[in-house]
Amino acid sequence: MNKKRLNNLLLILLFSVFLSTGCAHKSVKSLPETSDDAPLTQARETIPDKAEQTPSSPDVEDSIEDDFFDEEFEAQQVQVADPLSSWNKGMFHFNDKLYFWVLKPLAKGYIAISPDYFRRGVKNFFYNLTMPIRLVNCLLQGKGNAAASEFSRFIVNTTAGGLGFGNPADQNPDLVVSTGEDLGQTFGKYGIGNGFYIVWPILGPSTLRDSVGLVGDFFLNPLTYVDYSETWIALKGFDLVNQTSFHIGEYEALKNSALDPYVALRNSYLQYRQKKIKE
Amino acid sequence: MKRLLYTVLILFITAQTGLTDDKNSAKKILAGKLDAAIAVLQKKNMDKQEKDRQIIKIVTPIFDFPFMAKLSLGRKYWPGLSKEQKQKFTDLFIKRLEASYLEKLSLYNDETIVYKTPVQSGRKVEIPTEVISKDKLISMTYKLYKSKHNWKIYDMEIEGISIIVTYRSQFDQILEKGTFDDLLLKLEAPENK
Repeated sequence: MNKKRLNNLLLILLFSVFLSTGCAHKSVKSLPETSDDAPLTQARETIPDKAEQTPSSPDVEDSIEDDFFDEEFEAQQVQVADPLSSWNKGMFHFNDKLYFWVLKPLAKGYIAISPDYFRRGVKNFFYNLTMPIRLVNCLLQGKGNAAASEFSRFIVNTTAGGLGFGNPADQNPDLVVSTGEDLGQTFGKYGIGNGFYIVWPILGPSTLRDSVGLVGDFFLNPLTYVDYSETWIALKGFDLVNQTSFHIGEYEALKNSALDPYVALRNSYLQYRQKKIKE
Repeated sequence: MKRLLYTVLILFITAQTGLTDDKNSAKKILAGKLDAAIAVLQKKNMDKQEKDRQIIKIVTPIFDFPFMAKLSLGRKYWPGLSKEQKQKFTDLFIKRLEASYLEKLSLYNDETIVYKTPVQSGRKVEIPTEVISKDKLISMTYKLYKSKHNWKIYDMEIEGISIIVTYRSQFDQILEKGTFDDLLLKLEAPENK
């Protein structure tokens, strides 16, 4: 692999993480402490017990005395090693500035000059294009129905949707929107842990496992096979700005609510990925 | 024998309906409050400050903010605090939660909320919702528990990211190296710009 190719690879890696973290998907959630199948019977049994333990106290701070729901939150807390924290913090600041100084102004200008349907069309187009990533990973996770739906959507949107700019597949209730599988999630399903936390420039938060996944996903992305790297960079950049235009305000909200934005983002990323793997 | 069977049957049915009632009443309360809050948000001729004030007034009864403050520190830290520390922390934390809730709500103002089937486990109910617009679909789960009189929110998840868990990770980090006063200072500091 020559140097240029390697550079490209790194860039792509970065871009795709950044993009993948921004997408919204359907979710199916289960309570951390009970399985989906048996919460009701269990629930009935525990009501009287717990109710008895609850003392009636007028004090506001003791809504339920002695109960911190610790098991629930600890089950949800994902711990990860952060041996590269000085690099990661540097990259976090880099990405922060990149967002506020470059991406956000670009996206705002872009919103001002392009109609909604155009931006939505571009978003659909790039999403449709990355079907192979989702299809292969559905198959790797044994999700046959999701894979079939993924493929049918691609066919419908590429033909009737005009190369994927439209999204007529959405009108068909049988073609369920997928949860957006990727290789990092597949590894997670197989029981592979996060490894350690790493922040990539442009791409943002990731882990060792998810970064390896990104390399695989990179080869499943048709854009990778665009002949000229200039074209590739332009397309990726356009995709990034277009994506950003749908998510302005979200990073700001996370940052504003945080006491330590670096830790908050790291934790949010891990929780988000854990949820995606469970789906 | 037959009577016993009936009694058991009736008990079973009432227990069942009791549960569904629980779930649905929680859902109804939540939906009512959220609708009212969003209606305020969408009002055209009202300044932001007044909107914020009214929204907080609407949602405060359904959020158990003081309990959320306690949960975010957890058993590890909360019991060791003095009464003054608890009070100060709770006050500051609530301010931050309110600001953060208002900011998040305003991000999703022109969109419809779809309420999905709630999941009950003991005195907790999770109500998954989907906030849907033309451009995106965001999953938000409200987690409520049954307090003495009513259902109250003790946590919220946006795309699987729990508010309480996120704060816990930050408090852990701060308290591992620093003191509780450091934490209060950070909590008091203006939002990160």
